[in-house]
Formats: sequence, C-alpha cells, structure tokens
Amino acid sequence: MEKSEALNTLNEIRDMMAKSSKVLSLSGTSSVFVGVFAIIASHIANCILENESLAQSEKTIALLSEGALLLCICITTVFLFSKKKANKNNMAFRLDQTTKQMLWHFALPLMVGGILCLALVMNAFYGLTSSMMLIFYGLALYNASSYTYSNAKFLGYANIILGLIDCATGNHAILFWALGFGVCHIIYGIFFYFKHERN
Amino acid sequence: MRDELKNINKAFESKVRLGIMSALMVNEELDFVSLKTLLELTDGNLASHTKSLEELGYIESHKQFVGRKPNTTFNITERGKAAFEEHLNALESFLKLSRG
Repeated sequence: MEKSEALNTLNEIRDMMAKSSKVLSLSGTSSVFVGVFAIIASHIANCILENESLAQSEKTIALLSEGALLLCICITTVFLFSKKKANKNNMAFRLDQTTKQMLWHFALPLMVGGILCLALVMNAFYGLTSSMMLIFYGLALYNASSYTYSNAKFLGYANIILGLIDCATGNHAILFWALGFGVCHIIYGIFFYFKHERN
Repeated sequence: MRDELKNINKAFESKVRLGIMSALMVNEELDFVSLKTLLELTDGNLASHTKSLEELGYIESHKQFVGRKPNTTFNITERGKAAFEEHLNALESFLKLSRG
C-alpha cells in the first residue's frame, strides 16, 4: 500500500462521515436574502403599528398575515438556493434521513414557539411576542446545527441572546426583531460565504 | 506483507464497503435508498456489498414494509465498529511509520 493511497482512503472516510450525517446543501446567500426580507418586513410591521387609522384587531390580522407571508417567502428562498447548491456540487437533492432529522430538529422548537406566540397574541400579550420568536428561533437553529454546518449554532446563540435582552428591556421589539432576523442573518450569510462557498 | 499492514482489513479494501461502514459509523441507521444515493450505486451493487458485510457480522439489516414497499435499514454491529476502528488505526500507524 502506498502512503498516498492510505491518505486518500482516510480522506474518503472522513468525507463520507460528514456527507452522510450532515445536510451540506444549505447556502450562505439564502441567509443574506432572508436577512434582507426580514429587515423589509420589520419596516412594514413598524408602518402597520404606527398607522393610527387601523384598529388593534386589524393591526393584529395585518401583522399575522405579514408574518405568514414572510415565512413562506423565506422557506421558498432557502429551498431554491439549497437546490441550486446541491445541483452545482452534484449532490443529490432529496429528503433523505439526515435531511428529515435536521428539519424535525429545526421544526419542533419553532412550532412550539409559534403556537406560544399565537397564544400570546390572542391573549393580547403583544410585548413578549418578538422576544419569544427570537428565543425559539435561536433554539431551533441550535438544535438543528448538529445536522448541518455546526457554525449555525452561533446564529442560534445570537438570536437567543437578543431575545432575552428584548424580553428584559421591552419597547424596542421591532428593533431587536430586525437585529436578530435581519442583521444577524446577513452577517452570518456573508461569513458563511467566505468560509465555505468562495471557491 | 509488512508487519504494520497486518491489521489492514481486507474486507474494507473495496471503496464501496468502506463507504458503507463510514456512513454507518456516524448514523444510528440508514435505509437502503439513502445509502444508495450517498454512495451513488445501483441497487444490485449495493445489495451485494451489504450482503457480504452482513455475512461478516459487521452490519445488520432490518426489513420492514412502508405501505407495500419493502424498506431495508442497516446499522453497524459492535463487531463491525471494532473492526472498522482497528482498520482506521492500522491506516494511521501505517501513515506515521511511512512519514519518517
């Protein structure tokens, strides 16, 4: 056996271990897009909240629809960019076991948080919704990070910390929301691009 | 054969078997289709390699039905884990020795 052969074998083993246990088709560009959408959305939300011709119930409905629309746009964006990256790198783009596990680990805290936020809104505890969204989104990212690029956990930490500060301070909900979902995503996306995608 | 090569496991000389073992080392279990896609193999090719690894007692398979479709999942056995680790160690020590 040649030395280079043994080295190749070890590298192949390492690649296969990473490829089979992690979802590697997520892309940094989609994170930047999600961040930009979130900043636009937070601006629209601000306009809705400050519009005095709207009744409270109308504002709630407008904000909830905006949130649902934003979620759909973001999921579509991430899906399309992942598909593009998978095609580019000749990776199979399909719902395999690893992808399912990642999605479930991501979705569980997010669904719990989502239901909690709806309950808060229905009971008119508006002040806490933004921090709950940030905290549960951060937990979801942290939870899913072991099934994808592990640095996603730092985006998770950032959102959790912002969420906690938000719930302690109050009155700056939109600002914290835009920082967490907007600015953090953009910074993470750029970092990700330079670390994993530049070549 | 050189002494340091005696622990290099012949069963893992095929790239496909090495791939199967590596993937099963880091996953609790994997189904047939996932393994097939990961290793970019045909059904027949994967089946022959999983069969021989199973005969060696390195992996186990469980067959169940999802609706009407048969779905086979594989997992690594303790024996397989030990054999694979020994193989990795042998590769490593071979590299260390040939460095000097």
